[in-house]
Amino acid sequence: MPLTFASVGQTAVIQRITGKDDVRQHLAELGFVAGEKVTIISSNGGNLILNIKGSRIALDASMAQRVML
Amino acid sequence: MEYKIALAGNPNCGKTTMFNDLTGSSQYVGNWPGVTVEKKEGKLKANKQAIIQDLPGIYSLSPYTLEEVVSRNYLVTQHPDAMINIVDASNLERNLYLTTQLLEIGVPMVIALNMMDLVRKNGDKIDVAKLSQALGCQIIETSALKGEGSAEVAKAALTLAQRKSLAPKPLSFDPKLEETLAMIQKQIAGNCDPNNLRWFAIKLFERDEKAMEQLNLSAAVLDQIEALRQEAEREFDDDAESIITHERYQAISRILKTCYQKQQTKQRLTTSDKIDKIVTNRILALPIFALVMFVVYYLSISTVGTMMTDWVNDVLFTEIIPPAVEGWLTAANTAPWLQSLVLDGIIAGVGAVLGFLPQMMVLFLLLALLEDCGYMARIAFIMDRVFRRFGLSGKSFIPMLVGLGCGVPAVQASRTIENDRDRKMTIMTTTFIPCSAKLPIIGLISGALFHGSGWVATSAYFVGIAAIIVSGIILKKTKLFAGDPAPFVMELPAYHIPSVKGVLIHMWDRSKAFVRKAGTIIFLSSALIWFLSNFNFSLQMVETPDSILASIGRVIAPIFAPLGWGHWEAAVGSFAGLVAKENLVSVMAILYGFAEVAENGDEMWSVFAQNFTMISAYSFLVFNLLCAPCFAAIGAIRREMGSGKWTWIAIGYQCLFAYVVSLIIYQIGNLLLGGTFGLGTVVGIILLAAMVYLMVRPNPEERTRKLKVAKTAA
Repeated sequence: MPLTFASVGQTAVIQRITGKDDVRQHLAELGFVAGEKVTIISSNGGNLILNIKGSRIALDASMAQRVML
Repeated sequence: MEYKIALAGNPNCGKTTMFNDLTGSSQYVGNWPGVTVEKKEGKLKANKQAIIQDLPGIYSLSPYTLEEVVSRNYLVTQHPDAMINIVDASNLERNLYLTTQLLEIGVPMVIALNMMDLVRKNGDKIDVAKLSQALGCQIIETSALKGEGSAEVAKAALTLAQRKSLAPKPLSFDPKLEETLAMIQKQIAGNCDPNNLRWFAIKLFERDEKAMEQLNLSAAVLDQIEALRQEAEREFDDDAESIITHERYQAISRILKTCYQKQQTKQRLTTSDKIDKIVTNRILALPIFALVMFVVYYLSISTVGTMMTDWVNDVLFTEIIPPAVEGWLTAANTAPWLQSLVLDGIIAGVGAVLGFLPQMMVLFLLLALLEDCGYMARIAFIMDRVFRRFGLSGKSFIPMLVGLGCGVPAVQASRTIENDRDRKMTIMTTTFIPCSAKLPIIGLISGALFHGSGWVATSAYFVGIAAIIVSGIILKKTKLFAGDPAPFVMELPAYHIPSVKGVLIHMWDRSKAFVRKAGTIIFLSSALIWFLSNFNFSLQMVETPDSILASIGRVIAPIFAPLGWGHWEAAVGSFAGLVAKENLVSVMAILYGFAEVAENGDEMWSVFAQNFTMISAYSFLVFNLLCAPCFAAIGAIRREMGSGKWTWIAIGYQCLFAYVVSLIIYQIGNLLLGGTFGLGTVVGIILLAAMVYLMVRPNPEERTRKLKVAKTAA
């Protein structure tokens, strides 16, 4: 399921990230890679604040939709 | 002999703090990713032979953001003599990702393991000796905030540079991948600096276009590399970029397994997380934000800032400076024209501008506090959802906040927006927000024709916001700005208590932009306006209605007749507003024959009211709020756009938009309130219809793209 469906406070493992472009590469450089644990800290209308590899990253809904858990 | 030492690291890892510490300078340190955009240089305090270069914070060397392009070009092509990689030890894995890339570019390197105090506090353990061995370069523990270790790091880097030490050995990847890379290296060995060989091999494997351009390879070699890549992609069942990313993370986790022990925190939320849960909460986020903004506005524009500004205007530049200067000039027996130039031209002009300084400093102080504590990054996050609907990013909001004070730092603040289109659109629209220099104009209109109603000021802000929204929607559908909105991806810094020094430096940085404007452009243009309004074409000193300025005004005035204010005084006032918006009031006062008026011109309200109706006055106000900003802000737009063409597009759009909106307000306003109907009304209605059409029409770019998709599907 996409990251947008996860609930606040939940921790899950990333299965894959869809799409093929420089944004996906940028996400990978920030730590969004398959097999990584991600925790949802806050959600604001689909925009998420996440904890990944020990840092706090904000993602908009369209991005979060591409991260599959 | 001078040695160049580069500082490289992730955003917000303490780079600028260390730079300040090493060079003794005071660059602004922000709790906001992307504070350093240009690289900055300074000489090492302890040894002037070393030049330290602070590069923008980056997550990797792949060119995703402007900062990454700047840093990468510098490191690969300029070849510094040594490099300090600052690694945030409290976020080791992510930070080492960049390190794996830095190891490949062939520059001698030392690692500063920063924020070690935080790591110890958390109870995590890092075996530094082992880590250093695994990465193949020296590691020094530091705490940039407390100034610990910085000196040793610089000394180590300088020693590397002086001895011309070898660059560290890059980490090795999967054997199969290494084979492929070795073959690529053989292909390109003659085409690049041997130091950069591995770097280029990896970049070519990833199909990095910028690297391909740099090397000038023959088509045959490129084909060979393409074949090698395709083979590897089949083998690893992934695309080339992902293979490399994966290998880097693998290499990091192999290393960390041996030398890093993280204290299990049992998923306890940190303080920052707890604050975020409330502040970015779906329900509370906007009310909290509105409250914070209200307090900022109340303190800076309504109360404290205004009290200080009043003092500067009414006491310092009325009772203290002018009489003193007049005394000196009279004592020195200067000519009356010179006295008039200095007193009425320069001191009055510059004084009027400096009067805004206290107000602005209070505003910038509060914004610096918000930024430094970490809330500003959250504002971008909260507002992104709202701004996305009309084609702007949440990061566009910060320039607009700064724009409440002054357009010059506002335009500069747009630098942190990575996406080129978003940044250009923000630069074009941010000066629609009424800056504090526009407040006197609002005061004049409200006082002269609306019985001082506060609604005029409130509506001015709404007009500004509406102009941004409407422009966003319209522009996004034009060719210039078409395309998907850039996705919002941003690292949020941890909340922390702002440091006094940091906040003050930041406030001063922004205020400085404004003071410089008062000292240069305003200074010169005050003198120019004084000249134009005191002389006629035969260079005789005359009263203003006979001056050059008045002649110019009479020529351009008819242009504004359809907006309801075709008399030359208003035209000249708007023209003078280009120099500095607050000039509009004082210049119009002079034109109406008043020698000296208060900031909002209350002496001339009655005369002003005779020349305007409520509707034409409001149209006049809206035009001056929205049209091209003052020269200083235009200069800032030119600098940030980096192109003359885009500057003209921005100014042209602003003026056209202002003209059309004012025309609509005047013509339709007259129809509704006065029932007058004429040619102008028809034009007004047509323009309004055109504007609505531009907003609601389907996006033409979207349509062509859909067609393309349909075609490929068929």
